[in-house]
Amino acid sequence: MRTLGCLISGLMLSLALACGGGSNPAKTQAAPAATGLAYTDPSGTGWRLVKDASSTPTRVVLNLVGPTGLMTRGAGFNLLAPASVKYGTFHVDIPGTTHSTDFPIADTGVYQLLNTDPRDPWTGDPIPTHPLEPTLLAGGVKAGHILTVGIFQKDRRATAKDSGVALARIALEFDAAAGLRAGDILPLTVLKARHQAEDIGPFSVSPTVAMAEKAHLVDMTIALGVLRAN
Amino acid sequence: MRRSRAAQAALLTFLLAGGSAAAPLVAQAAKAANPLQASARALEPHRVALAKDHAMVLRSQFGLGEPDAFVTRLSFTNTQGQAIVRLDQTHQGFRVFGGQALIHVLPDGTLRTLTQGVQPGVKVEGEPRLSKQGAVAIALRHLAPQGPMTDAPKVERVVFPAKFAGGLAFTQDPVTGKQVLDRKRLVHIQPEQPFVWAYEVRTRVHNRVDAPSELTYLIDGRSGEILRVDNALHTARASAPAQAKAPFAAPATGNGLGFYRGAVTLATTEMNDGTFSLWDNTRGTVGNPQLSGFGDDGSGWAPTGLQVWYASHDASGQMDWNMWLFQGNAANSWGDGQVWNRVPGTENSANGQTAAVDALAAMTTTWDFYANVFGRNGMDGNDTAVFAQVHMNGGYMEWYTDNASWSSWAQGMSLGQGSYPGNPKGLLELTDLDIIAHEMAHGVTDATARFVNAAGLEEAGMAEGTSDILAQGVRAYATRGAGDPGNAIPATGADWKIGENAGHGTPIRWMDKPSRDGRSADAWYDGLRYLDGHFSCGPLNRMFYLLSEGASATQGATNHSPYYPAGFTGIGLDAASRIWFKAVTENIVSDGTGSLTFETAREAALLAATDLYGAGHANVLAVEKAFSAINVGLANGQAPRAQVAFKDWREGDYVEISHFSGWSNKEFFPQGETVRPRVKVENTANTQVAWTIGGPSMYNGAESMVGKGGRINADGSWTTPMEKGWWAITATSQADATQFAEGRAFTINLDADQDLEQDAVDMGTLAFSWYLSNGLSLAHSVFNAPWVDDGDVGAFVDAVKNSWLPK
Repeated sequence: MRTLGCLISGLMLSLALACGGGSNPAKTQAAPAATGLAYTDPSGTGWRLVKDASSTPTRVVLNLVGPTGLMTRGAGFNLLAPASVKYGTFHVDIPGTTHSTDFPIADTGVYQLLNTDPRDPWTGDPIPTHPLEPTLLAGGVKAGHILTVGIFQKDRRATAKDSGVALARIALEFDAAAGLRAGDILPLTVLKARHQAEDIGPFSVSPTVAMAEKAHLVDMTIALGVLRAN
Repeated sequence: MRRSRAAQAALLTFLLAGGSAAAPLVAQAAKAANPLQASARALEPHRVALAKDHAMVLRSQFGLGEPDAFVTRLSFTNTQGQAIVRLDQTHQGFRVFGGQALIHVLPDGTLRTLTQGVQPGVKVEGEPRLSKQGAVAIALRHLAPQGPMTDAPKVERVVFPAKFAGGLAFTQDPVTGKQVLDRKRLVHIQPEQPFVWAYEVRTRVHNRVDAPSELTYLIDGRSGEILRVDNALHTARASAPAQAKAPFAAPATGNGLGFYRGAVTLATTEMNDGTFSLWDNTRGTVGNPQLSGFGDDGSGWAPTGLQVWYASHDASGQMDWNMWLFQGNAANSWGDGQVWNRVPGTENSANGQTAAVDALAAMTTTWDFYANVFGRNGMDGNDTAVFAQVHMNGGYMEWYTDNASWSSWAQGMSLGQGSYPGNPKGLLELTDLDIIAHEMAHGVTDATARFVNAAGLEEAGMAEGTSDILAQGVRAYATRGAGDPGNAIPATGADWKIGENAGHGTPIRWMDKPSRDGRSADAWYDGLRYLDGHFSCGPLNRMFYLLSEGASATQGATNHSPYYPAGFTGIGLDAASRIWFKAVTENIVSDGTGSLTFETAREAALLAATDLYGAGHANVLAVEKAFSAINVGLANGQAPRAQVAFKDWREGDYVEISHFSGWSNKEFFPQGETVRPRVKVENTANTQVAWTIGGPSMYNGAESMVGKGGRINADGSWTTPMEKGWWAITATSQADATQFAEGRAFTINLDADQDLEQDAVDMGTLAFSWYLSNGLSLAHSVFNAPWVDDGDVGAFVDAVKNSWLPK
């Protein structure tokens, strides 16, 4: 997409020169410096990133929403935004400690992230719940300014959830030092997206061939809206 | 095991020998005490009661209640007439693991309380479901010895604080040779309550097949889960004791010719058959716990005193795991002064006895050193007999051959026969004075400071360093002349080397500048704990050397320290030894979990020096300077120096707090990715560091097999190795090149969905195998293990946080 974007920009420059006739170029006024971000939701009812009401002029919070009626157990994706856009974080206090973590993904409470049964699914013995029980919720910014996020149910005994609601949140933030101009289009690209389907095989601590065959995430396409500086 | 029979000896012989003249090694009063100490000892029972009453009065201040109490673990009266009382904390009558109070009762009756080990807020409900026998069975199932268990495990019901649960176990990957997490032995259970009933099961493995160990298991009394595993065996290199029987055999005086000691007079015993044995029954009246297992064979033998035994060998020269007392010597003349020829069957020949002569002479010297200098009654302070077994070889990976060890369980030593000169890098027989004094010092610290000598702990270095320090005192003590006082350590006589003679000229360790061996550290740094205790003891050894001998202001001098460049005057070996002995035996409180640091050691030494010499005394200031010279604390007037540390790598997450105790200073990273490890730099405006891969512990580590992998990039980031395993990385302050820290990273494979990318999407695949008894794919585990559990989940999230969190 970066390559495509360059080609388009180059083409537009050529057209402008042709229209102007060359001898008397029209005077252009540079757009004012941008002070925030704006996001227009995509159309459609499939997987998509839509603006959350908690967004502010400088911070666009996006909800991951799936098709209504599609039962899933989690999803994850890699998003590429221009380097001039910062990925925002969500402050999470670590229970029982004085520490906190700033994750680039927030749980909306739809997926059941914790162990659902106080019995060890393997031995059947009681196991204690722990306030710091780890969950499959994480995200980060990899080399190349790629946001990678994921949220998944780890316990097969938890039921799948309807994907037609906000399943998780990410945030894009305005970078005042990036030199953006109002109106600049900031292309977003989903490089990879997968979800965990409802049917991943019956729960059994002993693996079966059927379970192994279903142990694959499902590729999906996430529709993106338009992000622009303003 | 068995012991050869000896013939009867006449009672008359005993009576005559008892009246014989005393030789220097024989007749040192083993229970010598100065008048102050002697009179104070009479008051010790009263003072112990006083200390217990005092601890009970302080219960509410300790955060304890009505079901809580204290019982005496041990007490002794020091040469200043102070009663030192170590109390175990109990709850409902059961010992609280890691709970200890230390109370000093001064001669004027003043009470001083050190309570770092007291566990507040103890509350445990119900009763354990598990029996003692069940707990032992669980421990043995986990231990899974391949060879015979010669010692029955010992079990005690205790209250276990949940915060001490955990511990990492490692194994060597047979393919890569790297050390990796051993999932079978990984202890990652988190008890349900802050305190639970548990059983402490102590085991001892001592056979030809298994690696020797003295593992202590803590087993949850309800779930049967293993809560913690520790090893208590001490090495030189990398049932209630039975009361003494009245032997019919008689004390005697023999002559010995040792390889290391030359001609010596030995305290021996005439047996009932009129022959003699290498058994000094004038020291150690309380039966040895290991020897007490042997029955009375009518020879006059008893499990008391200092005894030297030998291992016999089969025709191939391999130890056959029988042990025998050196006895049957009609002339009471022992050894030929030559290195044993290692011919099987000649262990008790004159040539074979040479090592035993050295051993017994060393044992008596060491025993008397403690008695006469410190007023200590034996290693455990209770006059318990000690034995040594020489000519040891073989075992798991030839472990016994070039090694010496102290067994807290047996109150005895295993001394290797050495492999030199057949093995040019091997040692001669490990019976020289400094080696035996080192091992016997472990007996002192086992009964007092109770250092946990385990991988990844600074305490391990303190255990080994203390043994080296006290061994130097013994060595010097052995050189005293006829006119020297028997209760002081001569100023000369220490050579500041350990094992030089056994090493045929090359010491096992140098104490003046430990880094001479290319493996030990001269000073403390964050990450020192990753060195094996035999190398991390370097800073403590050097501190003691500098405290005794002084530090030079001349750069380049062996005794110059960049951390205290001005230099200072030493206080002498006697004063330095008294300070450290007092610190270790009276001021250090280990909770049994390895939480002591070199900073703790400094505080204990300062308290001891102040107690001995008074606040502000030059000796107290010298202690400050000596510790400053090893980068621990500051001397009076010193400006804070730059510090580099990985100590805040974690942020109180699941991995640190509840799942993997001991991970506070270690982090997970994805393999083959470019990451930016974090490090904390303090006391300098320039917080920049230079990164290097590897670290001092790479080949000397207690947690061995750590690797040096990946590459440091021009921007300071680290591209991690493309394989899982432990890796060392080091950060050095750009403001002060003497300040650095070594960190530990464990690289894991996040590509659970096997699309050749490591990202958060991979997490979805972990769920497919979560808690299956056998996972659907090895790739689903970040450790490539056959199953997935919350350990994988926690490690995955940790790796993402460490590597890719937005800044």
